[in-house]
Amino acid sequence: MAPGARSSLWAWFCRGLILALLGLPLITNPYVQFVVNSMLIYTVATLGFNIVLGNLGQLAFANIAFFGIGAYASAILAQTFGVPWLFTVPLAAILGAAAGFLASAVALRGIRLYYLAIITLAFGEFMRWLYLHLPAVTGGTDGMPMPRETLFGLQLAQDDVKFYCFLVITIVLFKLTLNLMQSRVGRAIAAVRENEIVTASLGIPTARIIVLSFMWSGLLTGSAGAMFAQHTGHVFPEAFGMHQLIIGFAMVLVGGLGSIIGAALGAVTLTALPEYLRAFPGMEELFFGLTVVVVLLLLPGGLASLSPLFIERHHRPLE
Amino acid sequence: MALLHVRNLTARFSGLVALDEVSFELQAGAVCAVIGPNGAGKTTLFNVISGYVRPAAGQILLRGQDIAGATAHAIAMRGVRRTFQNGGLFPDLTVLENVLTGLHVETGGSLLDIILGRRRARAEEQAALRRARDLLRLMDMGQLAEARAGDLSGGQQRIVELIRTVASDPAVLLLDEPAVGLSPVARGQLLEIIRRLAGEKGVGILLIEHAVELVMAVADRILVMAAGANIAEGTPAEIRQDRAVLEAYLGHA
Repeated sequence: MAPGARSSLWAWFCRGLILALLGLPLITNPYVQFVVNSMLIYTVATLGFNIVLGNLGQLAFANIAFFGIGAYASAILAQTFGVPWLFTVPLAAILGAAAGFLASAVALRGIRLYYLAIITLAFGEFMRWLYLHLPAVTGGTDGMPMPRETLFGLQLAQDDVKFYCFLVITIVLFKLTLNLMQSRVGRAIAAVRENEIVTASLGIPTARIIVLSFMWSGLLTGSAGAMFAQHTGHVFPEAFGMHQLIIGFAMVLVGGLGSIIGAALGAVTLTALPEYLRAFPGMEELFFGLTVVVVLLLLPGGLASLSPLFIERHHRPLE
Repeated sequence: MALLHVRNLTARFSGLVALDEVSFELQAGAVCAVIGPNGAGKTTLFNVISGYVRPAAGQILLRGQDIAGATAHAIAMRGVRRTFQNGGLFPDLTVLENVLTGLHVETGGSLLDIILGRRRARAEEQAALRRARDLLRLMDMGQLAEARAGDLSGGQQRIVELIRTVASDPAVLLLDEPAVGLSPVARGQLLEIIRRLAGEKGVGILLIEHAVELVMAVADRILVMAAGANIAEGTPAEIRQDRAVLEAYLGHA
């Protein structure tokens, strides 16, 4: 398929998908709507996680911290300071980006691979410890409820109202990320993954590229955290532990490392999967793990490698 | 004023002297071959000039301005570009994407323009894309544009790396054994490219090369190194006669 034909086909696919999504609440029941809302949140979170893991190729797991920081920021701002939820989303994004900046400082000190992995894991666990041990701010073990509020006269607690908010946020962040990744900056991020030394020889400021990747990753995952807070209506420390992190990691791998479309595919698939597995009580985790392994064995490049429509630039599986 | 003027450049690795007060000049449009036995410090010289190794002393004057000790990307941005001995392509990117990374600095559009997908950023990207495709076509590599760079033959990879390195119209080009793995035909092509870059575009070229016939065919001047020091410098004819060179290569007579 010619590149031009592929890109216009892609544009029509996107328009059709958005149109279909706009009408979705008309045909869903509350349960399905709740699951669809989760899919949007995990799409944004996985998009963020994937930038560091897949595009930049760094073994960093700070995204569970970004997710929690975004969620708590949203809850604290809304509950304690009375900020309307919608306004907490950009603030959570900024805090997520700031946390990303912190995480990038570790990578810039030359700490990589397993060392970077363990330090960023510790960052996530440290944040969870903070949520637990600062009850005056975070509500401790009881967590933080989201206040009930209305948006343009509609109850924000309703899942279809949330859906339209989440959908707009997801589409905007998805498009901005696509712009970034399909530019010279996205190429530079991939170049750093491939060979940092050679990248610098081309006049590309590699340190700045690494900082930017972590910050954009934090911005996305922080925003997803703010959506998550509204989605569950209550944030508490257990939601931001290792279990959640491993699911996020699986979403990145199943979707396809470094693929923007893959992030969405991975998030949607692995959000839907546990719902189908409810038919096998007691076996859910087993089947979940088995599915991930089978997908990765059959498609090392993830679901993104399935369709030629989804082959995008800068998408290459890691060896 | 010389395009590149290296003065008393010294580098040490934990006490070991890797470069010992190396001095030479490179004029615009000139090709200077750097030769010498293994371990003479040729690649270290490249690593210092291109900013990967900090010199302990000395100056690297680019059009009279000292760039010694600047970061690698800052030096590359000022028009000093290099290739790598072991091949510097990004294997998982396509050939086209590889060439585009060489155009990163020239491609305009602020980060905000890029993220917001503004027309200015898209136009810059399109212009870079056209330029990269033109460069590939010019070198008869157009049909390989969408191929994964790692799937190319060693010789093709060398050529693509060279295209990527010259894409940004550098002022100074450092080529680290560019002929390794090239077929005789490709060597002829390489020779032609080097001549054209120097002759038509006025690029000053430093060339590390072991193939004597290539050096003699293309170099205006030769810098001979041994044990970190430059032991001789001159035209190919002069170097052929040089006593110190004969001793370094053949031992004492």
